[in-house]
Order: sequence, then C-alpha cells, then structure tokens
Amino acid sequence: MVEAGEIYALLGGNGAGKSTTLLSFLGFLSPSSGHVRINGKDVNYDITAARNVIAYLPESASLYEHLNAHENIHYFLQLSGSSASQEDINTALDQVSLVVDARQRKLSEYSKGMRQKVAIALAILRDTEILLLDEPTSGLDPSAIDEFHQLIRSLADTGKIVLMVTHDVYGACQVADKIGLLQNGVLVGEFMANEGSIDTETVHKAFSSNSSPS
Amino acid sequence: MSYFNALIREVKFTAHDRSVRLWFALIFILSTIAVGFGLIEVERQNTTINALIKTNQQERILESEKLKDWGSSAYYNFHLTYDRPSDFAYAAMGQRDVQPWKHRIRLLALESQIYERDVGNPSIALVGRFDFAFLAAFIMPLVLIMLLYDLKTSEKAAGRHHLLEATAGRPFSFWFLRAAIRVAGLFLCLIVPLIVTGIMAETAISTLLLACLFIFAYILFWAALCFIISAWQKPGSLILMTLIAIWVSTSVILPAGARLMIDQSVSLPSGSDILMLQRETVNDAWDLPREVTMEAFFEHHPEWSSYEPIKSSFEWQWYYAFQQVGDQQTEPLSTAYQEGRLRRNGIATWVSLIAPPSLLERTLQSLANTDLKASIRYEKEVRAYHAALRAFYYPKFFHNEPFDAALLEKLPTFESILH
Repeated sequence: MVEAGEIYALLGGNGAGKSTTLLSFLGFLSPSSGHVRINGKDVNYDITAARNVIAYLPESASLYEHLNAHENIHYFLQLSGSSASQEDINTALDQVSLVVDARQRKLSEYSKGMRQKVAIALAILRDTEILLLDEPTSGLDPSAIDEFHQLIRSLADTGKIVLMVTHDVYGACQVADKIGLLQNGVLVGEFMANEGSIDTETVHKAFSSNSSPS
Repeated sequence: MSYFNALIREVKFTAHDRSVRLWFALIFILSTIAVGFGLIEVERQNTTINALIKTNQQERILESEKLKDWGSSAYYNFHLTYDRPSDFAYAAMGQRDVQPWKHRIRLLALESQIYERDVGNPSIALVGRFDFAFLAAFIMPLVLIMLLYDLKTSEKAAGRHHLLEATAGRPFSFWFLRAAIRVAGLFLCLIVPLIVTGIMAETAISTLLLACLFIFAYILFWAALCFIISAWQKPGSLILMTLIAIWVSTSVILPAGARLMIDQSVSLPSGSDILMLQRETVNDAWDLPREVTMEAFFEHHPEWSSYEPIKSSFEWQWYYAFQQVGDQQTEPLSTAYQEGRLRRNGIATWVSLIAPPSLLERTLQSLANTDLKASIRYEKEVRAYHAALRAFYYPKFFHNEPFDAALLEKLPTFESILH
C-alpha cells in the first residue's frame, strides 16, 4: 500500500515485473492472482475511474515528434479532459527546466532527456492524485536528475502519491520514502529509505537473480 | 460539449499529421483529375453528337435535291441516332468506352449497322478509362487501408499506445474518433470534386446525393474491415498484408474469376457473327429467286402481300424486302446476343454482392446510365427508330407513291422515338 504524500520506489532487475506492475495499475494487464486497488476500488472494476486519477509517465516517453512541447502538452491534456493556459504550461516547463528556446521547436529536434522533461511537465499539469513513473530519470543528466527528485518531492509534499519503478538504487534511496524490491513478480522486500534499513544482501539478490525467491 | 472539444482536438491533430495530409491531397488530386477527364469526355461526346446533328441536316438537304424516287431517298439518306451522356456520366463512363453511343443508319438491313462499331482506340478501351467510379471503387480503399491499418500499431511501435489509452480514459471512443476523422476527411476529399463538377454539369441533386450515400456506405464497409482486422493483436505489417490480400481478392481475383466463369457458363454469339450472317443473307438474296425473298418478307408484312410479283430486273420493293429478310434471318442470333449479355450482366450483379468494389462501380454506372442496360436500351431505341423509318417508307414503295421531296420533312426523327 502506498499512502498519500508518499514516494514509493519499486526496484528490481530486468524482467522482475516492475513495468508489468505499473501496467496492472492502469488496467492494461490483470493480475494473475490478488487485486490491484486504487482508493480502495478494484482497477479492473472501473478502469476509466482508475485512469482518471493517474498520471502515467512511460519509460520512453515518446510524445508526438511532429508537434512542439506546447502542442504535445495541450493535446494530451485535452485528451485527459483537462486544460491549461500557456502560462501554466510554461510554468510546468520551467519546473522541469526545459530551455525556453526549445519550447516552440518540434520534438523531433529534441534529445531524449528533453522529451522526458516534456513528459514530466505533462504529468505535473495533469494534477492527478497519483503519479506512476516508469524509469523517470532514464535519459536525464545528473543535474536534471537532482532537479527531478526535488520536483517529485515537492509534488508528494502536496499530498500526491508517487509510485516509481527504477533500476537506480542510489536515486531511489535519495528520493523515495519507501522502497520495494521486486523479483520475478513477487515483492521480496520493503524498506523505509531514510532509516538506513536497506538490506543490501536482499537488494543484491533481487538484481542479480531472476530465479524464484526462496 | 466535451465530445465537440474532442472532435476539434482530433481534427487539429489530424491536420498536423503530414502523412495523413499527403494521402488526403493524393485522393483530392486524383478525384479532381478523374472528374475532370470525365467532364472533358462528356463534353467531347456531346460536341460530336451536336456536330453530327448539324452534318446530318446539311447532308439531307443536299441529298434531297438530287433524289428522284423514294427508293433512292431511303438508300442515300442517313439518319442519325445517338445516346447522349447523362448529367452524371462524367463520374462513370462505364460501357460508353466499349459500346457505341452514335450510329448513322440507313433503311438497309439494320443488325449489321448496329454491330459495325466505332469505339476509337481499342487498346484504350481494353485497359479502361480512369474515371471517378474506378477511383472510388478500387483506389480509394487502398488509401483508406494506408490511413487506418496502423492507427494503433504505429502508436504501439512509437511507445505511445499505453500513454494515450491511459490518458484518454475511454480508449474506444478515442480510437473511434481518430479513425472517424480520417474516414470523414477521405470521404470529403473524394466527393468535393464530384459535387463541384456535378454543380457545373447540372447533375440532379438526387443523383449526387445517392452517389454520395453509396460511396459513404462503401467507405464505412472498408473502415469497419480495417477496424476489425486492426483489432487483431498482430504486427502492423501483417495487418497491412491481410488488408491488401482482401483488397486484391475482392478487386481483382474475384471479379476476374467470376467473369471467366460467367463467360464460360453463358455463351453468346458475337456481334461479328450477326454481321456476317446478315451480310451473307443479303448478298445471297441477289442470286435467289425473288419469290423466296418476297414470301419471307410477306410473312412479317402480310399487309403488302397483295403487291404484284416483281417483273423488272430491279425494284426497290424487292431490294428493301431482302434487306429486311436479312434482319429476320439474324433475329434469333441478335435476340440471343441481347439476352445472353443481360444474363451475364445479371449474374455479374449477383457476384458483385461479394465483391464490393465491383458493386460500387456498377452502382455508379447504373446511376450514370452508362451500364450495359443503358447500352441495350439505346440499341432498342435504334431498332424502334429503324422500324419507324420502314413504316414511313414502305407505304410509299408498295403503293408506288410519286416522289415528293417535301414529304421528307415528315420523316420520323430519332428524337421523336426518345420522347
């Protein structure tokens, strides 16, 4: 369970089931056993209601390359049934430190990190209760990662729930309140990130083995 | 209101998509070219008919000055018949490329005159004309397939599919709207040139509306097919190959196979058989005893059987009698030819129910009066006109009426048969 105002980082090696878990929250996949609940309601019971409270940031945030940052954000916000003024969009882009000159250029001219920033700005502007982030710092440079961590911390401080999946153990320890270790689709460990309670042996095992946990 | 906003959003999005714009532009240009070619051809045919009407009148005046008897008048006078293109023929030229739409007939044996064709370049007739009906029935589905086959798979390949569906909340209405805008855009690009040309050609509104309705239903059929096949969880290339295979089957294989089957199962005499038989009959008549010819003629025209036996070496009555006997001899072949073509056409109509491209093409040709039925209707009009000419001349031959050039003004006109 992830509480309001909490950042939960789900760690695991390749094929551990991190992205699969996120897709289950969005109703794209049904769990083979158990339930996925948001605000106490089964996701598969009302997928639309679940998706309405979630802003999802996929691993490779491929927005539309033939649109610029403003147009992309505008389009996806309209798609979600919300809207934002140009000023709001600029504020969000300021928050993710996207250079002003680039904002009217098409995304085909952007680097991977710049595209990721636009996607993060979109997630911010969605202003939903829950943020699901799949490898959100992938493609960002170290300073941008720090800025991103500060950003999601500030969002969590406003009461939002942040669930992120990542390979980055160090980054997760820096930003998350709670860390879950996933191995072959099973949660094998859960730690409070700031209490120095991380069991390094379990982490090592989770990343080095794809076999079933004992 | 939110649905309207969604509509505006997707229209703007589609307008930004370069590849979609290119496909729309291609169909708009092809549609403009197709109706443009059609309009030029309709204009050419009308100009030809108008010129022939004028020439025919001038020739008649010149000939009537030289004529001394009714027989020569019937022999030397040509009578123009024609089938004007309809106000929608610019969209579907149909059989007008391969079947005659003008004949200058004389009072001689008719059947050979009907099957003496002048259809222009046979290689062009074989290939067929690029007209609007061909574009709408055969080319448009390919463009629609290109617009719709990867609606989802391209988003999956770009990694946007989950983001889009998670953001849209109601994925079905999102995909439906996106597809609907492409379908509507394609439909508009196709029909706008058709309607504009229709207004220029003063086409009946009901004809234009019906054509649009049929085309819309046809686009919906292909769109539904694309939607169903795209729902198949397979790579875009496989979806595309499947849709192309369906297009090839319904546009090429099925119609060609059906035509082969129909041609083999419904045999019919050729026009040249009819022409040859009639010519041989007419030529042989010169060497036959005249009583044989006249008896055969009187079987069809007992009202003239009291006519005295021919004594001189040449009489017009006998000449036109053996011309008519030539028609009588070929009548069974001619009837079999007409009925066979109609039977083939009937079977082809049934087959087209499982080959939608052929069905739409045939429907548009039917609306444009350029189908086989229209062609056979014209043949019937020519026969009726020829019969009216015989009805005008025969009393003059068999009553031995003195020639009066002024009476030629009372010759029946082809227009009087039409109305």
